[in-house]
Amino acid sequence: MEYLSSDKILIVDLTASRTSEDEVNGDLVAERIGGAGLAKSLYEKYESDDPIVLSTGQLTGTLYPASSLGIISARSPRTGKLCHTPFTLTAGIELKYAGFDYVVIKGTSSNPVYLWIHDGVADIADASELWGRDVWNTTDFWRKNLGDDLIQTLVIGPAGETGSDWAQVCLNYWTGGDRFGIGKAFGNKKLKGVALRGMGLLEIADPEGFVDRCLNLLTSLKNGAAAGKQGIGPVCAAMGHPEIQDWLASLVHRHKACYNTPYAANTFVYLDEDPTIRTEPKTDEPGLLITEPYSLIGMHRLGLSAEQACRLLRSCARYGIDPVAVAELSEKAGTKDPKAIEEGFATLSGTPTLPGSGVFSPCTPLQPVFGDFGISGDPSGFHGWWERRQAVAYIFGIDPLFALMSPEITEGNLLELTNVGAELELSQETLDAVIADLME
Amino acid sequence: MGVKIDALKCVGCMACEMACGYHRDDGFAFLSACIVAYRGREKKDYFGVLLKEEENLVVARPEGLEVKRIGAVEESGGEKKQEDASAKPMLLREPCDLCEQMPYGPMCEKFCPVNAITVE
Amino acid sequence: MDVYRRYSAYNRLLARGTSLAARHTDRGLEVSPTAEPRAHLRRLTYPRIAVYAGTGTSHSWLWFVELCERMGFYDLCFPDEREVAGGTLRSVDVLLVSGGDTFAVAEALGPRGAQGLEQFIRRGGLYIGSCAGAYLPLRSSKTPLHHFNYVGARITNLTDSLPQPRRMSRKFSTAYGCRFVFHPVREEVRIRTAATAPLRAGRSITAPLYGGPGLTIGDDAEPLAFYEGFTPRTLFLVDEAIARDTLIDRVAALRARLGQGCLVLMGPHLEHPSFPEANGLVADLLFWACSRVEPLQNARESRDAPCLRAGAHTGLLRDLRRELSNSRIVAAGLETIPLHWVIGAKVYEPEKFRVFLDAMWKRVRHLERMGFTAADTGEAEEMIRIGPQVTRLLRRIKTSADCGEDTSAPARDVLTRLHVWSTRFLNTYFRTLSLARGHTRVAFKAQDTGAPGRALETRESLNVRSVV
Repeated sequence: MEYLSSDKILIVDLTASRTSEDEVNGDLVAERIGGAGLAKSLYEKYESDDPIVLSTGQLTGTLYPASSLGIISARSPRTGKLCHTPFTLTAGIELKYAGFDYVVIKGTSSNPVYLWIHDGVADIADASELWGRDVWNTTDFWRKNLGDDLIQTLVIGPAGETGSDWAQVCLNYWTGGDRFGIGKAFGNKKLKGVALRGMGLLEIADPEGFVDRCLNLLTSLKNGAAAGKQGIGPVCAAMGHPEIQDWLASLVHRHKACYNTPYAANTFVYLDEDPTIRTEPKTDEPGLLITEPYSLIGMHRLGLSAEQACRLLRSCARYGIDPVAVAELSEKAGTKDPKAIEEGFATLSGTPTLPGSGVFSPCTPLQPVFGDFGISGDPSGFHGWWERRQAVAYIFGIDPLFALMSPEITEGNLLELTNVGAELELSQETLDAVIADLME
Repeated sequence: MGVKIDALKCVGCMACEMACGYHRDDGFAFLSACIVAYRGREKKDYFGVLLKEEENLVVARPEGLEVKRIGAVEESGGEKKQEDASAKPMLLREPCDLCEQMPYGPMCEKFCPVNAITVE
Repeated sequence: MDVYRRYSAYNRLLARGTSLAARHTDRGLEVSPTAEPRAHLRRLTYPRIAVYAGTGTSHSWLWFVELCERMGFYDLCFPDEREVAGGTLRSVDVLLVSGGDTFAVAEALGPRGAQGLEQFIRRGGLYIGSCAGAYLPLRSSKTPLHHFNYVGARITNLTDSLPQPRRMSRKFSTAYGCRFVFHPVREEVRIRTAATAPLRAGRSITAPLYGGPGLTIGDDAEPLAFYEGFTPRTLFLVDEAIARDTLIDRVAALRARLGQGCLVLMGPHLEHPSFPEANGLVADLLFWACSRVEPLQNARESRDAPCLRAGAHTGLLRDLRRELSNSRIVAAGLETIPLHWVIGAKVYEPEKFRVFLDAMWKRVRHLERMGFTAADTGEAEEMIRIGPQVTRLLRRIKTSADCGEDTSAPARDVLTRLHVWSTRFLNTYFRTLSLARGHTRVAFKAQDTGAPGRALETRESLNVRSVV
């Protein structure tokens, strides 16, 4: 794969403590396209080694709007099935720019380790000093000791190390899209996490044609349904929870977008600083970044104040546990005291809801958000539409939340841009087949 | 004419950095961009934009704009400044040329999704 | 034809033993194959070139490296002041000295280095100096420049009383004895070639000026080019009228004889990688000065070059790539921190670290493709040893900067080690390139070190010819 690709697959054998590389096979791309589509193929190839596959979409890291997605594909400890969970912000693109489109992590290490993947180099490094540290501590350690604040991390906390079914793979310091307990899969392999940093370059087959089309699409998106909105509040409102925005308002500092994504869906709240300040805060850890809506909705349902809820969310992020599961299970158990909830992380029990078919992480609303996709009816009936929309996002590398906001992003233009940028000849039939295979 | 940045509108998406990198390298890369999304204070939610111009480094902070002269060094007391007129350019990050050879004009402005960058 | 491809083609032929002749016509330098020597033809030789990378040099010597690589001049070495004083120049044909701090360069070379330099030129060597490299050999009574009094040209931007600066006011001049050198302009200037062999008279080309001299010459030198004018990219540091008076119609490049050799001194950086026409001038001058009417009687002695292949080769490159990546990542991150260091008379920024690192980084891939590395185990171990030291120091700078501590000491240390690392790497790189392209007088040496994975390769199995 010459274009829009690093053309490399990293194979990490944790049992043998060895890495090797493979090329991204053009025939496989023609058949499986990329992202979760191709990751599934790699998963099946190494299935006997219980692999975790990190992948990027064909368009990840380009100027295509919202091309921020990286994907973790693995057998979920919660469902027992192959599932796909997103990682965005700037970690998705960092994987591709670190020199690998795909990483297959197989086997189990005898001692705690972490992967340091940088510019086409993959090191399996000792993590015994890090085992037991929380998520924030670990990311801080890597950034300080490896020497760069821009290192992106996929990291587990004590929840993953102790085998909690609700352990999340966190993104830098924040809880994210992992609703499937992949953090436990990391922990089972004694894998503390993956640190990523890269300064690569992606070649484009038809640079002007590709960029021209991206600009046209961006222009229409800027005038689209999400225009003028920012943050997690409006997303909650679109899901039928307008109260969240006002409830949270007094804590909101700023909103951030994932890489090249026209909607700033992540909201940073300040808990230990005045949220209205614009200068650099004196406190090192003034708050947290909220990256998905369900945890907020769940905490709000517990009757907590916004500050209590966000402090609890921050504790979840440090511990590396799924806050949606924490909120739901605490509600079911009748536990509403934040301190008691936090103290109960290690002994949490129950079966939280996992909507959807269990293929794609239900960390995004199961319905259109803001945009008019020409479907109508009860949102509870949108599952088929949602699964397909997520599948398309996970195959091409598009932010899965933004994919629900933007009817302007069509399967047609995703195929067209991929063909123009990567000199491929993908068809709608191929895409249909890949989606069908993912949904099996 | 120059690039103006409203750091408070910025959402830290790095589209500007990628667009500029594309202008420099004719591929997708960040290393040669003269506009950089400053994002090294993630836990503090403190982010902005750096722009390298011919003689200046424009630092667009959330609290306001700061313009530093390139090659200028403040010595103790904050008074003296050294600038080396014989300094060789690094050729790594060229100063902003407003994408004079691009059909769209300044790429950072075109690709910013929240109109935080304007050309005045 | 692209200027780089043209010279690269000449060098490929020369290095493989093809006989090429050069003559000066009104079109400039013309090169053609020749079977026999003729009176008006000069036989081209494939030169061994030293690129000076000692104390006081900035990073612009890497521009000479880039020029040499693009044009197929692969027989390179990178001496520092110790090696110049120690006689390294005895085995080279050309010495290239680029920009930096002239006084620091002179100080580091000292009288022994100056002696080595003079002997080299008098024996028939070619010295090409740009910017600081041009100031260095000019006649001066100022210590330590007084060791290098080879050329009597006068500097036109040397003055008793400085003009009023328009910009960069605090440091647009440097003390020069009891007088001052000032910089009237920066960036692009236009120069016009003189009717001096092997150049075509009246060619107008652009080149960048970053502190180099304007010159007037006497009878002991001949002009190669004059400053002709300015361009829209020229940055005026003084009034344009003063800049014109100081530079226009003054000598921008000269050639002066010294014994059997000569010096080419250039005010602008004709070696800058963004100026191919200017680079072509440098190559013309280099070829011309190294060419002979009589063919070489004594072939340069072949040198043994050990080689790493298979596991030793991939292992070396894997380790190099790892540390280059680790260092580059930290160095790139430092570029967004407001750090500066004043080292000697120069201001340094973090970007400078990556200049050296990137010069190595982009070439590691080429070494990987070549399938072997022309290095012995000692050289390989040294390159592997320096890498983590640089990474550790860069990380220390980052940590100290985050705490608001002084970072000058590790910064100085990093620059020193980067110089060593890059020169060692480039020595190996060009030696490998020479062997891979058959561009060399170097023969392989078959040698088994006995260490597993470290077996060296024989010449025959690599199918490389020596050029004698």
